[in-house]
Amino acid sequence: MAVRTYVKPTSLSEAAALLAAHERAVIIGGGAYLRLGARSFDVAVDLYDAGLDYVRETGDGLELGAMATYRMLETDPLTRAYADGVLARAVERIVGVQMRNIVTVGGTIYGRYAFSNLTTALLALGADVMLHRAGRVTLEDFFQRKPDPWDILASVVLPSAGGRAAWQELTRTCNDFAVLNVAAVRRDGELRIAVGARPGLARLCPEAAAAASGDDAPARAGEAAAAELDFGDDVRASADYRRALCRALVARAVGEVLS
Amino acid sequence: MRIRFELNGQAAIWEVGAGETLLEALRRHEITSVKYGCDTASCGTCTVLLDGKPVPSCAVPAGRVDGHAVLTVEGVPEEARRLGEAMAREGADQCGFCGPGLVMSVVAMRRELEDPDDEAINVYLAGNLCRCSGYTSQTRAIRSYLEGTS
Repeated sequence: MAVRTYVKPTSLSEAAALLAAHERAVIIGGGAYLRLGARSFDVAVDLYDAGLDYVRETGDGLELGAMATYRMLETDPLTRAYADGVLARAVERIVGVQMRNIVTVGGTIYGRYAFSNLTTALLALGADVMLHRAGRVTLEDFFQRKPDPWDILASVVLPSAGGRAAWQELTRTCNDFAVLNVAAVRRDGELRIAVGARPGLARLCPEAAAAASGDDAPARAGEAAAAELDFGDDVRASADYRRALCRALVARAVGEVLS
Repeated sequence: MRIRFELNGQAAIWEVGAGETLLEALRRHEITSVKYGCDTASCGTCTVLLDGKPVPSCAVPAGRVDGHAVLTVEGVPEEARRLGEAMAREGADQCGFCGPGLVMSVVAMRRELEDPDDEAINVYLAGNLCRCSGYTSQTRAIRSYLEGTS
């Protein structure tokens, strides 16, 4: 990445004004991935000091600021206590502490990274995204929309009640990207299952959630998820391998949250 | 652009480039303990502490540290000496390229974790790769450093 000017606003509104004032501007969330790209920008707007690095409880639920780091999700008592600590479990083995100190919630979501563990967990948790311009949208809706380089993600809001949650993933080595990842959340009798690194962007599996009943609910859910999702080949695994893995990991996750 | 920050406990005012990383700026200013490794935030050898937290300086924009505090091995000479001696005694110090980043991670870990066992040490230090030692001798050295016996 090449930039001509670097700015570090101290508020979200200042960041939005800077973004609006320049034709070729970019927001830096964490920056770890962005800087590896070949694109060039006139202005880099770094949110590091914009006051968005928080995890807090609001009347609305659990709010994760856009600049909350993975390390914060791992160590903050609020996220550790929320939904069986599924946020911490999803991120705690990603590369190392150093990387997790700079990778952020907002950077992850705005980057729409298909390999992401956090995205899978947030989808299953029923996260909403607070956008500076577009307002509040569900995370599923956000992913359906065309990427808007002129908006800024302010925070992610999770429902007050976390519920039971399970995390499952397979990695080829301990700190690698997942071959496939699965999160399941049960809250007020409703089940949500998300599968990511297929290797496409994480998706919810409503048919799998609907199929999860009876004595063999976990196995039924696994079968349904493998049938409703599409899978692809990449350097880590084939589509067939991922489909087989999906049956097993979804069954395990559902077994955990139903037990 | 001009940045004002605290480097190893001292006020610093530097001119840095808009696209320059903290790693590049540190080395250009002769803070050469900080090593240029993978350049993808994966290997840990460029680790410095930013406001006390270990970060990969190759992935931090230099401008980000304006108004903040950066700590490198040059700022923790006593810890570096003690850990270095423990590493030498345990045969954990071979090519030495990963050493400065490891020292900074261990300094951060010591502040962050209370009485970590070997599993907690290994998890905390997973982001510091060493291609020589195989980690067993490093873990012994770190344990002896933490126990204050070195």
